[in-house]
Amino acid sequence: MRNLVIVCSAAVLLAGCVTLPPNAFVVSQEQLARRQIETRRYDGIKEENLLIASSNVLQDMGFSLDNSETKLGLLSASKQRDATHGGEIAAAIIIALLGGGATPISKDQTIRVALVVRPVQATVDNTPVDGHFVRVTFQRIVRRTDNSTYAETLNEKELYEGFFEKLSKSVFLEAQKI
Amino acid sequence: MSKSILLGCTSLTLLLAGCNATMNQRVLDTGDESQLQKRSYQTRVFDTSDKEKVMRGVISTLQDLSFVIERADMMLGTVSGTKFQNQLAIRMTVSVRPKGSNQMVVRANGQLNIKPIEDPKAYQDFYSSLEKSLFLTAQLGE
Repeated sequence: MRNLVIVCSAAVLLAGCVTLPPNAFVVSQEQLARRQIETRRYDGIKEENLLIASSNVLQDMGFSLDNSETKLGLLSASKQRDATHGGEIAAAIIIALLGGGATPISKDQTIRVALVVRPVQATVDNTPVDGHFVRVTFQRIVRRTDNSTYAETLNEKELYEGFFEKLSKSVFLEAQKI
Repeated sequence: MSKSILLGCTSLTLLLAGCNATMNQRVLDTGDESQLQKRSYQTRVFDTSDKEKVMRGVISTLQDLSFVIERADMMLGTVSGTKFQNQLAIRMTVSVRPKGSNQMVVRANGQLNIKPIEDPKAYQDFYSSLEKSLFLTAQLGE
C-alpha cells in the first residue's frame, strides 16, 4: 500500500498536472482583511496628483516603473535586490557540516509592486466625495543559488504601514508642491 | 504488492501520456474543447456602458483575490495580473469590450503554472466576485 502511494505521488509529480486550489477565485474573509491592510484613503487631492505622489515614493524606494495606465490609476514597478539571509546561510552550513551536502540558499530577488488608485464611490448631500483609495500589493520572486525560484506575496502588516507612512509624506509634499 | 506497483506504473504512464501534447497543440492551445466552448465559459455580459467602471471593478476584484496587477490598458480594455498561492503561480488576463451601446463583454482567461485553467467553476467564481464589486449581474452568452 505504501509503495502504491509513493508511485502514485511520483506519477503526479512527474506528470506536472497541478490542480487549481478550490476557491482560488472566491474572495475569502482573510482576503477582505488584507484589503484593510493594503488600502488607505486620501482626501482633498486629485487622482492625477495622488498618482504622481505615489510614483515619487516608488522611485524613493528604488523601484523602476514597468507599466502604468493613468486612466485606470495603475502603476506597476519592480526592483532587483540581494536576498541572502543570515539564518538561512547558518542553517545551510550546519546541514553541510552534518554531511547533508550543499543546500541551495536564497541569492537574489525581484520585488514587484502594483499600486492602484480608485475614486471613493460615495456622495454626501448629492455631491461626490473628493477622496481616493490607494491599494498597494507587494510580491517577490526569490532565486536560490541553484537557480531554482520561489515566489510569494508579502504579507507583513509593518511593510504596508511603512509604505503608507512614506506615501502620506509624499502626498503632503505634492499638495504643498515642494 | 506487485499488483499495486503495476497499477501505479500504469497510472504513471497514462498521466504522462495525458499531459503530452505536440508543439503545435501547445502554441495553438487546441485542447479537447472547441474555441466556442472555451469562450462561452470564459465570457460574461454586463448591462452597462461604462467601460472605465467595469475595468476598475476588474482591477479591484483581482486585487481582492490577491493578484498583483502587472499591466492594464484602457483603450484595449485589458488587465493582467499574477498571484502566488501555495507555490503555484496563477496568471490572469481579463479583457473588457463594448457590445452595442449599453453592454460590456468581459472575458477572462487564466493559467496555472504551465497549464491553462479550463475548469468552468474557476471562471464562475471569478465572475461572481466581479458581480459583487460592480453591483451588476453577469449574464451568459454573447
